[in-house]
Order: sequence, then C-alpha cells, then structure tokens
Amino acid sequence: MKFLGPVMVALLLGNGVALAQPDPEPPSPPAPEQPTPDAAKPRLRVSGRVIDALGRPVRNATVTIEGDSEGAPVKTDKDGRFTISAAIGSTLVVEQKAFGVGIATVIGPDLGDIVLLTEAQLGETIEINSEAPAVAPGAAQLDRKELQRIPGTGGDIVRALTVMPGVVNLQLPLGYSGVVIRGSSPQDSKVLIDDFEVPVLFHNVGFRAVVPAETIASLDYIPGGFDVGYGRASSGIVSLTTRPGDDKRTTQAEISVIDGGLLAQGPIGENTRYLVALRRSTIDFVLPSVIPDSVDLSLTTVPRYWDEQVRIDHQLNKQWKLTLSNVGTDDTFELFATKDEQAATKRFYNRTRFARLTAAARYKDGPWQATLALSGLWQQFTFEAGLYQKIDLRTPAITPRVDVTHTSELANGLKDVVWRVGGEVQATRGSIDLALPVEMREGEPMSPNMDPKDVTEQFKGTVYLADFAAWGSVTASLDKRIRGTIGVRTEYFARPNEAVIEPRGELKIQIAKLWQLRLSGGAYRRPPEFQSEILEKQVQSERSKQAIFGVQYEPRDGVRMQASTYYTDRTALITHEMDGSLGNNGRGTTTGAELLGTYRGGPWFAWLSYSYSHSTRVDQPGAERRLFSYDQPHSLNAAVSWQRGHWQVGGRFQLYSGLPYTEATGSVFDSDRNTYIPIYAQPNSSRAPLHHQLDLRVDYSWKWGVVALTAFLDLQNAYMNKSVVTYFYNYDYSQRTAFTSLPLIPSIGLRGIL
Amino acid sequence: MKATIVALLAVTSFGACVGDVDEQWQLDHDRIVAVRATPPGILPGERSEIDALIVAKGAAPVEKPPELARVISPLSLATALAPEAGKWVVTAPDAARLAAARTELGLPADAPVPLQLGVSYANTTLVAIKTVFLGEARANPALEDMMIDGAAAPGMTTPIVVQPLTDVRLSVKADQSDVVNWVTSCGTMHDFDLPAAYLRVEKDDPTEGYLGVVRRTDLGGVAWRIWPIRATP
Repeated sequence: MKFLGPVMVALLLGNGVALAQPDPEPPSPPAPEQPTPDAAKPRLRVSGRVIDALGRPVRNATVTIEGDSEGAPVKTDKDGRFTISAAIGSTLVVEQKAFGVGIATVIGPDLGDIVLLTEAQLGETIEINSEAPAVAPGAAQLDRKELQRIPGTGGDIVRALTVMPGVVNLQLPLGYSGVVIRGSSPQDSKVLIDDFEVPVLFHNVGFRAVVPAETIASLDYIPGGFDVGYGRASSGIVSLTTRPGDDKRTTQAEISVIDGGLLAQGPIGENTRYLVALRRSTIDFVLPSVIPDSVDLSLTTVPRYWDEQVRIDHQLNKQWKLTLSNVGTDDTFELFATKDEQAATKRFYNRTRFARLTAAARYKDGPWQATLALSGLWQQFTFEAGLYQKIDLRTPAITPRVDVTHTSELANGLKDVVWRVGGEVQATRGSIDLALPVEMREGEPMSPNMDPKDVTEQFKGTVYLADFAAWGSVTASLDKRIRGTIGVRTEYFARPNEAVIEPRGELKIQIAKLWQLRLSGGAYRRPPEFQSEILEKQVQSERSKQAIFGVQYEPRDGVRMQASTYYTDRTALITHEMDGSLGNNGRGTTTGAELLGTYRGGPWFAWLSYSYSHSTRVDQPGAERRLFSYDQPHSLNAAVSWQRGHWQVGGRFQLYSGLPYTEATGSVFDSDRNTYIPIYAQPNSSRAPLHHQLDLRVDYSWKWGVVALTAFLDLQNAYMNKSVVTYFYNYDYSQRTAFTSLPLIPSIGLRGIL
Repeated sequence: MKATIVALLAVTSFGACVGDVDEQWQLDHDRIVAVRATPPGILPGERSEIDALIVAKGAAPVEKPPELARVISPLSLATALAPEAGKWVVTAPDAARLAAARTELGLPADAPVPLQLGVSYANTTLVAIKTVFLGEARANPALEDMMIDGAAAPGMTTPIVVQPLTDVRLSVKADQSDVVNWVTSCGTMHDFDLPAAYLRVEKDDPTEGYLGVVRRTDLGGVAWRIWPIRATP
C-alpha cells in the first residue's frame, strides 16, 4: 500500500544507519537487533538507490548482504541504483569510501532510498522525506509536515484535501464526510483513520478536521481504483494514519482563534511509545462577540467541540508490534433563533460525538506479514428543531479485521509474487428515534422554508446492520517491466440480504526508465446505510464500475508528474420513487482527467494539480439526464512553500468552477401550512460563477529557553475575492441573494514544544 | 441532516455575507398574506366563503375574494366551489357524495373531507392553495388579548403611533400549536413568528405603513388584523 513513508536517518558512532521503510507505519520503535539472513528463506530481487544527505545519487557504492559470504556484492550505477538478490529480513551493508557505512533491512522488493552520510555529518540528525509510490493512478500522499505547509489550509486536513486533484473544492465542506471525489456524493467515499471508518471528518463549527494534523503521520488520497482491501465505498478513499509517539518525550501546545490543544508523547521503556492529544475549540469564546446584537439569536450553548487522540505502540518482539489507538470527538450547540430563550419553537440543538477504539497487532516475519485488528465505534447524533422535529441516533459498532500477506520470489513462473487475503465484519446496532421531513437526496433542491411541523418521516426502534467481507489478491511481475494485480472482494450486506462480488485489478508497465503506465479497473459497492437508507430494507447497495488510465513520470529525485483519465459508471443509485420511498433507480456517469505535479527538494515544496470532471445523473428511467449536484468541471491548485532558518513562507492559488444549482421560477403559497411550494427549473441547470483566490502562510520558529515556538499566520483569500458559494431564495422564492463567504479568513496561532 | 447543521452554522457564522431580500414579516411586498375560508369546516349543505389578505408593494393591504379559484382535490367535488355575486363560495355536498369522496381519498368513514382549493390574484401571478374541511364544523380562531406597546390593540382602522428606535412589544394569545405571524411595512420586526414579538423602527426604516398579525390553527382556521402605523418621535 504505502511503500515508503518518511525515511528517518540517524547516526550511530561513525556509521550511517539507514532504515528504508516500506511500512505503512512511519517511524516505528527500533527493533532490538536486525534479523540475520537465513539461507532457507526465499530470496527476492531487491532494488534500491543510494543517495547522500542532499539527495544526490552515490555511484560505485558496494552493497553486500551481512553475514552472507557466498553472495556477490553489487555496485551502484551512476544514478545510485542497485539490484541484489536477498532474503526478506536480511541486512544490506552499503559502503563507499567517502561515506560512513549504511545499513538497510530488506522487507520488500523495493527498498527505496538508502542515505549515506559523511564523517562531517556525524553527530547530527537529518530527516529526509522521500515520496511514496502512488497506490493507484491519480492517488497521492501527504505527510504531516507537508499538510502543515500548504497555505490556506490552516494546517488542517479537511482543507488540505482540497488540493487533491479530483476533490471538489469549495470554501465550506460538503455533506457528511465532507469529501466529494470524482463526481460522487460525499457518502460514496470513505474516510478512514487507522484503516477504520469514522462517521464524521469535520467539526460543525470552524469546519476543522476531527483529528489535528499534529497527530497524523500521513494522509493517503485514493480517488478511485482502490484495491480489494477497501470496501463499502463506490468512489474514493481518504485514509489517515495516526502517528506513534516520538522516541523523545515532548509536550506541545498550540492555540489559534479556532481551537487550542495539547499533545504529549514519548517512550515508556525501550519498546513502548505513547501519544496523547486533546483539543478544544476556542472560536466559541469569540463567536458571541462577533454576532451583532440586532441578530435574533440566543446561543444558549455556543457551538463548541472537543476531540482527543490516544495511541500506544508496543514492540512485543521481533515479529509482533501492538498498537492501541483511540480517536474521539464531541460537538454540541444549542441556539434559539430569537432573543427569547423560552421560545421552544425556535430552538435548535445538536450533539454529535463518537469514539473509536482500535487494537491492532502487526506481524512481520520473513515473507509473512499480517494485521489483526479489532475496532469498536460508539457514536451519538442528536438533532432537535423546534417542538416537533428530532433525530436521536446511537449506533455502536464493532469491526474485527484480518489481513495476511505472503511474498515469494518465484511462484508458478511469476516473479516477486505477493499473495494477500483478508476478511472483515462490521456489525452495527442502531437505536433510532426520528421525526423529520422527508430528507432531500442529491439533486433535489433544499427548501429554504421547511414546515416546522412536518414530521412525514417517523421511526422509533432498533436496526441491525451486519456487513461481511472477504478478499484475496495476487500481485506479480510478468516480466521486468510489467507488474499486475488481480483480486476479488466479496461482500454480504445482511440487512438488504445482498451478496456481491467485486473483481478488481491493476497493470503497471514501466515503458521507459522514468515513465510508468498504469491501468486499473474494478467494481465497487456502497451499502445502503446513509441516513434514512437504513430504514428501508428493500433498498440495495449502489454500484460503480471504474476504469482509470494513468501515466507517471519522475524525471529526477523529488519531482513527480502524474496524469490520469477515468470513467466511472454508476448504477442502482438510491433515489426517491414517485411515492416518496427510496429505490435503486438512479444511474450516472463521470468522466474526467487529472494532472498532479509535485516537487520536494531542499527548502522547496511545490504542488500543482488540475482536474477536469463531467458528472451526470438520471434519477429515474426515462428522466432527463442532469448535472450532478457537485459537478465541478475545472479545479486548479498551485501551491509553493519555502523553508529556511526561522522562516517558512508559502502561497497557494486556487481556481475552480462554481457548483450547479436549481433555479426557482415561482411558487405556490400553502396558506394553511404557511409555507411556499417552489416551482423549479430543470434540476442543476444553472451554475455558480468561477472562483479564484490566493492564500498565504507565514511561519516563524524560534527558541524561548527550552521551548521551541512557532507562530503562524494563514490567510485565506488574501486579495479578498468575494465569491458566490450559492444562492439563497427568500421565503416566497420571488427574490434571491448570493451567499458569499467572508472575503478574507485569517488564522493566527502559536505552537510551543517542550 | 449534517448538511442542515452545516448550513445553519454557516449562516450563523457567515451571516453578514448574505445579501438583502425581503423578510417574511415584510408587508411591503407583492403577496398573499393568508387565505381564509369562513368557516373553515362545514357540514353538508352549509356554505363557506373564500377570501384573502392581499398586499401589493406600495399599496395598503386589502381583503378580497379570489380572482380565480378551482378545486384541486378531490376532483369529484369540483362543483362544490362556485362563484356567487363576486365571491367564491364552497357548498358542502350531501353525505353520499362526501362518502364517495372519502373512498376516493382513502379516508376513514367519519373523517372530514379536505377540499383543496387553488386561488389566484394579480392575473395569476399570486397563487395559493387553501383547504376547506367538509363534513365537520370548524371555526376560525379569535384574536384575543392583543397588546401593542403595553396597551390593548385598537380597532382595525385606528392608527398606531410608536416611538422610533424603541422596542415596541407586541403580543397575542395563541395555543402552542398555533402559528402566529406579525407583519409590518414600517420598521423592523423581531420574532415575527412568535406570539410575543417586538417592532423597532430603525433610522433607515420607513416611518409609515401597516402592522398586521395573522393567527393560524391546526384545524385550518385563520384570523388576521391590520392597522395603519407610523413612527413619530
């Protein structure tokens, strides 16, 4: 999956020691000792590159296998590259007369970069970031430091996602998960934290991610073509990996106008590390003072949030590593749309909270790797509006998961074969008490004036959901240039009693030294578990078939260009029937192309992404084809950040299409209900205007005694382009007004590390 | 629902970025304020007259019968509505026709039959629907205990005089299930949809116009009252 995380280089008494880590878990606790080679173990063709501290290739370095007198040493070429036959777990020794000795442990066919250090560099610690291979055409990964360098994001993951090609860009997050990927509804993509789904990605106020970037090791963005290990999604995956605590005990605090938090981390003994983080909103202290007195509003509970993260890592022995992680969040607010706090008809209340606790055991021994995990989720969602409308949803869930991988150099005539099998069960018990109007589906315009007495949809009871999944895949090199993966995921969704088979595959072709073609495709399903879908047993899963063609070019170290085109065919989309019930009569297609260029070198980090997308829907057989509600044909992001000494400065330019909307052409007044029934034009037949903005970020770091401090200023929309997000109609749809976000959104903060 | 919460908080947080449109309490706006059936529920053979409170921008509110009206549902009772001397009148049909209508609508045997009417004004630019219940007697509500600026509300033609830049308290007796709307074309209305509201004539507000209150009940009843109003220091 994620073959190369950050490569941390540390120095030990005159020898450069490099740990190349094709491990999804970035810096793991150091193993007590390196495993010795075992002649009985199968050997792989292991490739890697030797570079110096500045990223330049080291030629004529000698690479040998420690303790293997029979194996012939190999030399690196002019690009610093080498290939050697070695067993999993063996130690490679890299020597070049101008450098100290480098050591790397073989844990896969691709070792990545091994860094050699000179004598002059002894005694210092140098951190080098290398770029992981994309897990699918169009996919990308950002590590924590890069997340925090992108201007206009406030160092936040939700906003950082908007730089990804294929993600719909908007100044406010959308929908439940907040991620609209490649022309699909937010619920069609999954947001994972440490491999397990989380119900919400962002807080209600401030629209901040529920996990701070400080606790994240990396963000993997897979817009489509994901492998059989991922399921329950018909579009894309956003996977956040939390990080283990550092090997040094530190405490850090950060405060801004949005929120403030504390983070403590460090070792417990030799083999255990911890990380604890707690954050609380601060915007609730500011908000009441910025709301004018003339507004008819009483914030009896000012919108606020808490979130927390705990992670404990323990290296049990050479083979086993244990991780216990917890992510939790709690959002609440209560307001009265009047100064009168006794006016129950004008009351709005919300509480959203969840906690996910995951225990995982990771095994690694020679060609075998396995992950056993058990994760529990507790969540509550309560919303009350006025006297009649409410929802109280409590859905505890438990998810055991196992994933096993075996690597062999040769099998049935294929080389470097990786076998993978796994399984997962997600069991959920939903206690639901709701009385609401019929919810709007994608493509249906939201009425500005809901009847506060409308409780057309009512349910009180318990719903059980159980989803079973099993998967298997094999990846192998067909020759030196072609590597393929073929696999299948099978799922059984118990509530609609639906068994599905989803074949998926990918082909990678190295057409030239620096060029790689990738073709992937597959079938995907999203079970009917979004909002009121769980109330109707006859509703089945939504389906998609994806085909993606990509090309990747890496002209030199730190530079990557990747382009991809895709086609997604969606069927069985869940839409409203004529009688108001839900059915699987919708279909749609999305076509698009994406370009992503990244540069990581020295003090510079640069990012250029552009995506074109055209996404349409047909809600019922015979209905007219319409634009998807989040269709965004053009989205351009160009970001650059420079870091030297105390300073880090950066800028980001965004240009993107406005979203479609449905115009109201008139209305009929329902006198008894005191509401207006809108008369709409063709759905999504109009579009909000193009938006562009420049974001700037400046960080200044300094030492204050033993405390390392960083002050930052992050400006969104620096030249104050007041863009239209959408249009709001008045109560009788005879007038409309543009809803624009604030022209300038500053974020100021201070971070201290002790 | 998450989208609703986000929208709610977005508007709360970024409320200053929404431009001006007429609020629902604004009386200086082409609109049908309410449609009234007098009475809203009738027994077989009884009659109910239809009229509405209408406002044209820049003009005084008026009560008048629809220019056009027709039965929307059930169509088997289309003849229950007829023009009569410049008015539109609903006459409840006999018990047998009501029973047939109940069957058509899938209603229980003793349920009132909702006769849904469409009415229009201003050359069909203003359109509304109104329900008259057949087979059950119902009455429009009364407007009781109305207080304006601490005093009992005067009769409809008596002008109300208020101080500018002062909160003028308004209240009317209503049940919790009732919907009350205060409307005005003079000043800014606060809590317009609560039985207890207040009016404040700000510096830039018109100082002369009309003040009104509309009370709706769950049973289709409606009552209103309109006064001329001006703000004088």
